[in-house]
Amino acid sequence: MISKDEIKHLGWLSRLELTEEEISKYAFQIKEIVGYLDKLDSISLTEIEPVRSKKKISELRKDHVKPFTGDALEGSKNRKDGFIKGPRLI
Amino acid sequence: MVNLCSLTAEQIVKGIINGDFSAEEYISQILERIEKIDDKINAFIIVDSSGALEKARIIDKKVRNGEDEKDIGALAGVAVGIKDNICTRGLRTTCASKMLQDYVPPYDATVVKKLKDNGAIIVGKLNLDEFAMGSTTEFSMYGSTHNPWNIGYVPGGSSGGSAASVAASECALSLGSDTGGSVRCPASFCSIVGLKPTYGRVSRFGLISYANSLEQVGPMGKTVSDIVMVMNSISGMDNNDQTTLDSETPRYALRPKGNIRVGLLKELVEGAEPEISKCIYSAMDLFSKLDCKCQETSMKSIEYALASYYTIAMAESSSNLARYDNIRYGFDLSPDSYEWNAYFAKVRSNFGEEVKRRIIAGSYVLSSGYYGKYYLKAQKVRAMLKQEISLLLKTFDVLIGPTMPVLPFKVSEKIDDPLKMYMIDIDTVIANLTGIPAISVPAGFGKNLPIGLQIMAGEFQEQILFDAASLFESAANVHRSPEL
Amino acid sequence: MMSEIKIGLEIHCQLTYLQSKLFCSCYCDYRFKIPNSNVCPVCSGLPGTLPLLNQNALEHAGLLSIALGCNVPNEIVFYRKNYFYLDLPKNFQLTQYNAYGITSIGVNGKLEFEADTKRHARIRRIQIEEDPGRLVYENNTVDNSFYTLIDYNRAGVPLVEIVTEPDFTTPKEVRIFLNKITSIIEHLRICDTRLEGAVRCDVNVSIGEGKRVEIKNIGSFKEVEKALSYEITRQKTMSFHEIEIKAETRHWDDARKITKQARVKETEEDYRYFPDPDIPTVVLDNAFLLTLKRNMPELPDERKRRFIAHYELSDHISQVLIDNKELSDFFESAVNIYPSPKAIANWIVSDLIKFINGDNHSQPQSNDQGGTFHSGLKIEAKHIAELAQLVDQNIINRNTAKGFLNQIIKTGEMPSQLVKKTNTSKIDDKNMILEAIETVFRSEKSAVNDARQNSKAINFLLGRIMQLTKGKVDPKIALDLIKKKLIESS
Repeated sequence: MISKDEIKHLGWLSRLELTEEEISKYAFQIKEIVGYLDKLDSISLTEIEPVRSKKKISELRKDHVKPFTGDALEGSKNRKDGFIKGPRLI
Repeated sequence: MVNLCSLTAEQIVKGIINGDFSAEEYISQILERIEKIDDKINAFIIVDSSGALEKARIIDKKVRNGEDEKDIGALAGVAVGIKDNICTRGLRTTCASKMLQDYVPPYDATVVKKLKDNGAIIVGKLNLDEFAMGSTTEFSMYGSTHNPWNIGYVPGGSSGGSAASVAASECALSLGSDTGGSVRCPASFCSIVGLKPTYGRVSRFGLISYANSLEQVGPMGKTVSDIVMVMNSISGMDNNDQTTLDSETPRYALRPKGNIRVGLLKELVEGAEPEISKCIYSAMDLFSKLDCKCQETSMKSIEYALASYYTIAMAESSSNLARYDNIRYGFDLSPDSYEWNAYFAKVRSNFGEEVKRRIIAGSYVLSSGYYGKYYLKAQKVRAMLKQEISLLLKTFDVLIGPTMPVLPFKVSEKIDDPLKMYMIDIDTVIANLTGIPAISVPAGFGKNLPIGLQIMAGEFQEQILFDAASLFESAANVHRSPEL
Repeated sequence: MMSEIKIGLEIHCQLTYLQSKLFCSCYCDYRFKIPNSNVCPVCSGLPGTLPLLNQNALEHAGLLSIALGCNVPNEIVFYRKNYFYLDLPKNFQLTQYNAYGITSIGVNGKLEFEADTKRHARIRRIQIEEDPGRLVYENNTVDNSFYTLIDYNRAGVPLVEIVTEPDFTTPKEVRIFLNKITSIIEHLRICDTRLEGAVRCDVNVSIGEGKRVEIKNIGSFKEVEKALSYEITRQKTMSFHEIEIKAETRHWDDARKITKQARVKETEEDYRYFPDPDIPTVVLDNAFLLTLKRNMPELPDERKRRFIAHYELSDHISQVLIDNKELSDFFESAVNIYPSPKAIANWIVSDLIKFINGDNHSQPQSNDQGGTFHSGLKIEAKHIAELAQLVDQNIINRNTAKGFLNQIIKTGEMPSQLVKKTNTSKIDDKNMILEAIETVFRSEKSAVNDARQNSKAINFLLGRIMQLTKGKVDPKIALDLIKKKLIESS
C-alpha cells in the first residue's frame, strides 16, 4: 500500500528532503493513518454535495487600486537591486 | 499590593478607567509574573516588555486627560497574549517553526488590529504546536509548554501557550486558533474558557493558514464574560477575508438565563474516560436544575467525523505550507549556488516531524486518482454531518458533551503514536467540520486534572452559546487558578 | 499517405484594462516598475494573507466567454494547481479546473474563421487564472547563473486562458484564427494586445498517429506560425525516417528559429487540484448574464456586416478594416468628420496600410482612441478625412493627394496646409484652361483635325494640355472643355 517508493515520491512532490530513516518511519505511520482515513469508504454518499460558501458577484471586491504602503518584502534577506535572490535553475 | 495579575479583563478595564490602578502598574506586575514563572510553563516565545509598557503609558495618559471611555477602548490596558501563528506587525511571528524563525510580518492580523484599536496591550507571542498541528504543544521548536495545574503534564494544543498563560495569570486574555479543537482542547486541559466562533464570524486575515476551510481565531480567558468582551471587539466582516459573513455583527451580551433546550451527545460522553463522563452527567443535572430542558441525544454520523477532518486538514495543510521555501522568509541560508529543487528540499527538511507527516499524508490524499476517494468524500461527509447537526439544532438550542475524551496526560506520553494522538480530537472536530460555534467551560476535575464541558450551538448563534455557558459557569463555580 | 495534422492552441490573455490585480489591490499595470515595488502581502505570498477576488475580472472574462460562444456555468470555482517554482509566490497557482464538474467561466464555445474555406475551431474552455512573477537571470542566460532574480510585480495579474480543441490543420489557419481572436479581444476592450507579453500562445501539434508535442515559450502571436511550420517539418521528417515522435514539451528558440527539448523537466507533474477554500463559489445569476449581453460591444463580425450594409464597402475591404480594431476605429472617426466611406476606406486599405508597422509589439504607449497609430506615425483621422474631401471637391487630384500622404505621415500637417504651401490648387479657373486649350489648338492643328474624327487623338491633346499646365489641371474638366471646343470649332 504505502511503500517507501511512494513516500519518496510524495517527498519529492512536496519538496521535502527525507533521510532513509524518515522514509521508513513515515511509510509505516502514514500507512496506518491512511488506513484510518479509509473509513470514508465505508459510507456511500452519491446523493450529497459538498457544502461551499457562496457569494454573488456584487459581494466580491471592487476593482479599485490600493497600493501597499511600505515594502511588503522588507524582511527578505536575499535581495539584489530590488529583486529577490533565489537559487539557480538547472 | 493587590495582585492585579489574577483579575479578569472586565475587572482590569473597570479598574483602569476608575483610576484604581494604572495600566503601567498592572502591566509591570504582569511582566514580573511572566519573568518569574514562565521558565516552568514555557508559554511565551517572545515577550514584548518595552512595547507593552509603552502602550500602557499611552492608556494612562488618556485616562489622566479624562478622555472618553469609548476612545480609551473597551479592552483598555488588558494584557493579551497572541498565539504565534497570528501576525503581529513588527513583532516576530514564527509558528514555532524554523521555517519562520526570523519572520517579522509587515502587517497586523485583523484581529490584532482590532484588539489594539480597543486599547488591549499585547504582551507577547505564545507557544503552539508547529503550524498549529498538534493537540499538546509538544511539537514546537521552542520546547513543550507545561500545564500550570501540573507541570509535567501537557496543557493541550495546539494553542497550549494561549491557555497556559491565561490559566497561570501571565495575561488576562489570549487569542488562539482552532482548526480541530486547538482552542477548546487546551482551554479544557487548563480549566479556562475557550471559544471557537462560527466559521466566518471572525476574520482569518493574518492567521497563518493550516487548514483554511476549518479554522477560526478563538478568544481564551478566565470567564465567559471576558470572552464576550473580546468577541465584541474582534467579530465582524472583513474586506481582507472573503469568507467572513457579510452582515451586521450583533453585539453580544452577558445574560445568563434558563429555559434552554440542552441535548447531550451520547456518542461523545460514552467515548470518554469515566471521570469525564461522570463530570459531564453532573453538568447535565445542573442544567436541569437551572430550568433547562435536558435530554440525551445521538448523532450517528460522528463515527466518520475524525476521518473526514484529518483528510481535509492534511490535504489543505500540504498546500498551505508549500509557500515555505525560505526565499522570502525563513531562516539564514543563502540560495547562492544551490540548484532550486535541491534548495527547496533542503530548507524544507527543517519542518518538524508532525508537520512533515501531515504534508506527506496530505499530498497523498490529493494525489492523482485519490481526490474522489478521500478529499471529495470527506467533504461529502462534512455535508452529511452538517445536515444531521442542523436537524438536531432544531430540537435543541445547544448540544453538550465533554471537550476532551481524556484527562490531561504526561508530556511525551502519546508523542510516538500519531494516530493515537489524533483520536483525542474526536469531540472537537465536529464543530470545525460543520462550522458551528463551540465553547469549552471548566466543568470540574478528575484526578486533580481539569475537565471541560463543551457547548455547541447553531451557526452564528454565539449569543445562545454565551447564554448557556454563562448560566452554567455561575452555577458550577469551578475553581479557576492553579497554585503557582 | 495523408498524415492528418492536428493543432490545438492555449492562449493566455492578460486582462490589462482592469485597475487592480486578480486577488489584491495592487496595480494591474506592472510594466517598467522597479522590481518588487508593485507588490503587497497578498500577491507576494506572505503568510496569513488571503486572496480577494476582483469582481470586474469576472465581467471581462465573462464577455470573452460569451463572445466566443461559450456556455457560462451558474457557479464558478477557483482551484489550486499545486507545484513548486521560483516565480510562484505561494507554490500553487489559483486557476480553474473542470475535471470534477464545470466551474470555469466558459466551456464548449466555437469561433468561425475564414482561411481558404470557411472553418471553425471549437473552444474547449475559458478559464481565469493568475500570472506568476518574472524570473531574470544574471547575464540574461540561465546557464552560468549562480542565482536567479525574482520580481513579483507581475504576480497576481489576471489572465484568461483560452483552450481550443485540436481543430487546426495548418499554420496559416492558426495565424488567421489568432488575428481574429486579437480583433475580438480588442473590440471587447479587455486587453490591449499591443502591450508586450499581454497575449501569449502555446501550441500542441500531432501528425497522424504520432504523439502530441507541446510547444511553449513562443514570444508573440507572430512567432506562432513560424514555430508551427518548423515543428511540423520536424515531425514529418522524423516520421519519414520512421523515428518515433515522443509526447513531450518543447521550447521555441526565437533566436535560432527552432524548437528544442524543454530544458526544465516539465513532465506530467501531479498538480493535486482542489478547490481553494478561501475563495467562495461565485454565483453567476441571470442578472449578471443579462448585464454582460447588454454591455457586449460590437464584435468584429457584426461590425463587418454593418460596414457592408451601411457604408456599402466590399467584403474584402471590410475584412481588412475589422481585422485591426485601430484601423476600423480610425475609419469610422474619419467618416464621422467627412462622410465619404468608400473613398476613405480606399485610402486606408490601399495607401495608408503600407505605412503601418506590421509588428504589433513595438514600443507600447498609452491607449489612444480614434486615430494615433502606435507605430509612431503622425497621421490622424482628420487628415484622411480632409484628404478625401479635397479630392472630392477637385481641389487636388488623387495623384497629388498620394504625394501629400507621404508628407503628412512624417509631419502631421493638415492637407489644406500642404495645399497652401505648394500652391497646387487645381487650376479650375475655366479661363485658364481655355487659354491653355487655345495655345495647344494653335500649335497642334493636325492633331485637332484628327481629334474631330478619332477620339483617341483627343487624349493626345489632353496630354499636351497637362504638359503645358504641369499637371495642375483637372483632366476631366480639361477633357470636357476640349470636346466642347472641338464641337464649337467644327
